[in-house]
Amino acid sequence: MYVRLFAASWLLFCAVLAVIAWGFQAPFAYDPVGPRAYPLLLLSLMSAGSLWLVIKPGLLEQTLNTRAAVRAVLCVLALLAYALLFEVLGFVISTTLATFALGLLFTGRPLPCAISAVLMGVLLYSLFDYLLDVPLPLGLFEAFVES
Amino acid sequence: METLNFLMQGFEVATRPENLLVALFGAFVGTIVGLLPGLGPINGVALLLPLAFALGLSPETALILLAAVYLGCEYGGRISAILLNVPGDAAAVMTTLDGYPLARQGKAGIALSLSAVSSFIGSMIATCGVVLFAPILANWAVAFGPAEYFVLMIFAIACLGGMVGDKPVKTLMAALIGLALATVGVDSTTGVYRFTFGSVSLSDGIQFVIVVIGFFSVSEVLLMLEKTHNGQKAVKASGRLLFNFKEFCFTFWTMVRSAVAGFVIGVLPGAGATIASAMTYMTEKRMAGPNGKFGDGDLRGLAAPEAANNASACGSLIPMLTLGVPGSGTTAVMIGALTLYNITPGPLLFEQQPDVVWGLIASLFIGNVILLVMNIPLVGLFARMLSVPNWVLVPAITVISMVGVYAVHSTTFDLVLMIGLGVFGYILRKLDFPLSALILGFVLGELMEDNLRRALSISAGDLNILWGSPISLCLWALTALMLALPGLRWWRSRRAAQLANA
Repeated sequence: MYVRLFAASWLLFCAVLAVIAWGFQAPFAYDPVGPRAYPLLLLSLMSAGSLWLVIKPGLLEQTLNTRAAVRAVLCVLALLAYALLFEVLGFVISTTLATFALGLLFTGRPLPCAISAVLMGVLLYSLFDYLLDVPLPLGLFEAFVES
Repeated sequence: METLNFLMQGFEVATRPENLLVALFGAFVGTIVGLLPGLGPINGVALLLPLAFALGLSPETALILLAAVYLGCEYGGRISAILLNVPGDAAAVMTTLDGYPLARQGKAGIALSLSAVSSFIGSMIATCGVVLFAPILANWAVAFGPAEYFVLMIFAIACLGGMVGDKPVKTLMAALIGLALATVGVDSTTGVYRFTFGSVSLSDGIQFVIVVIGFFSVSEVLLMLEKTHNGQKAVKASGRLLFNFKEFCFTFWTMVRSAVAGFVIGVLPGAGATIASAMTYMTEKRMAGPNGKFGDGDLRGLAAPEAANNASACGSLIPMLTLGVPGSGTTAVMIGALTLYNITPGPLLFEQQPDVVWGLIASLFIGNVILLVMNIPLVGLFARMLSVPNWVLVPAITVISMVGVYAVHSTTFDLVLMIGLGVFGYILRKLDFPLSALILGFVLGELMEDNLRRALSISAGDLNILWGSPISLCLWALTALMLALPGLRWWRSRRAAQLANA
C-alpha cells in the first residue's frame, strides 16, 4: 500500500520534472545530444519503474506505528532546528541544545543528557576548530572573541 | 617484475609516518564504526570523508584512511555479531548464525580470535589478487572508449538489479533516482542550468558529501529511533581466548575457499560483501553435509562469511581503481572522494598516479596486519564500546555529520538539504529501496552522461556506436543476462514449488 502511494506520487513528480526538463535548451548546439535528452531518458525509465510498482508493489512487512512516527517527526524537527540555528547561535550553543534534545528523544535521562550535551558542545568544538582546523561558526560568542 | 617494483614503490608511500598513522587511526575508527549496530562501512567512510578533505590530507593519504576504515568495518562487524547476535553491518548477518551460538557455549574468545584470523586471511588473499589482476585489467581497460564505458556502467547497474535479487525493480529505481540526482546543476557541456529551481546553492550540483551523509547518517539516525536494543546484554568473553592449532587447521581450507570466492564476487560490479558472505556460508554448509553443526556453532560457519566479506571488500577495489566503476556502495563513496581531489579513477590512474594506486594497495597489506594485531588483544576494549548508550552515540553521530557537511561550503542551505535528503532516504529505506544502489547511481551519473554524450559526439549522433565494438556487444549480452536473472530465479522457484505440490 505504502509502496503504491510512493510510486504514484513519484510518477507525478516525474511528470512535473519532465515538464521542467522539456525547457532545457542550449542556445547553441555543442553536441548532438544536448542537455535535454539524458534527463528525459532517466525520467521516462523512472516513470516506467514507478508504474510497475503501482501495479505490482510486492510485499512489505512495514506497518505504520503512530508512536514511532511521532518520534521520527520530532527528531526531524530537532535536526531542522539544529541546522537553522547552527550559524545563528554558533556551534557550541546549538550543539548543546540539539544533543540534549536528541539524547532525550533516544530515551536518555535528563541530567546525564544535559551533562553529555554540554561536554559534546565544548569538546567537539575544540576538537574540530583547534585540532582539526575545521572552521565552525561562533555565533553568539563572536562578540567575546577578538580576532 | 614491473608489478613488484611498483609494489615496492607503494610500500614506500604507505610506510611514510603520516600514512602509517592515518592507517592506524582509520583501522581503529573503522573497527568501532563496524561494530556499532546500524553503522556500516558506508557510514564510516562518509563520516571521515569530509574530515579528510577539511584536514587537507594529500590524496593518497586520504584514500589510505578511507581504505583502512573500510577494512576495519569488515573486521568490526563480527564483534557485535558474535557477542550480541546483532550484526554490526549488513555483511555480518551470516556471522551471527554460528558466532552467537559459539559465544553462548562459552567459546566467545575462540570465536572472536578465529574470525579475526579468517578476516585477515580473507583480506590478504584478496589483496594479493588485487596486485595480480588490477594491472592486467587496467592495461585492458585502456581499450575502452566512451561508448564502452557507457555500456559498462549500464552493466554495473544491471548487476545490482540482478544480484540483489528479490527486489530488482526497486533496486533499479533506486539507481535511477541516484542518476537523476546527479543531473542537478549546471550542465558541463552547454552551461544550461538543470533542476536548480533558481537556487544559487544548487547551481554546481548537489555536493557528494551532502548526499552521502544525508542518505546514510541522517536516515540511520531516524531508523535508530525505532530499535532500542538497550535490553540486550553482550555475552562475556571467558575461557580460552585464543583458538588452538587444531581448530585453525580445521577451518583453514574453508577460509581459503571462501576468500577466493569472496574476491571474485567482490570484483563483479554491484555485488558486495553481503552477497559474498551469504554465498560462501551456503556453499560450506552444503559441502559439510550432515557432519556440520551449522547454525549451532560450527567454526567453519564462522570462518567462511568472515573470510568472504573481507575478501570481497578488497576485491571491490579492483573495478574502482582500474575502471573507475565502483563495485560496492562503499567504493562508490571512495570514487566520490577521489573526484573531490580532481582525480578521475580509471585505467590511466595506474600510469598517472602510481603513488596513489600502489600506495593504497600496499596500505591494504599494512592495514591488515595492524587490524589483526589490534583486534586480537583489544577485543575487550572494542566489546566495551557496545555498551555506549544510544543517547550519547546518536547525538555524537549527528554532530559529526553536521560538521562534515558544514565544512564543505559553510552554508545553512547545505545543512537543510542534508536533512531533506535524509528524510527522503529514510522513507526509501522504510519502503525497502536499497540505498547503496542509489549512491552508486549518483556517483556514476555524471560519468555516464559524459560518456554517452562524448560517444555520440564522436559518431555525430549515430546511436550505432553504442553497440559497434565487440567489447560493448559482450557487455550488452552480460547486461541482458543480469536483467534476466531475477526472472529466471522466479521461474525456477515457481517450478520447484509446482513440483513439490505435484
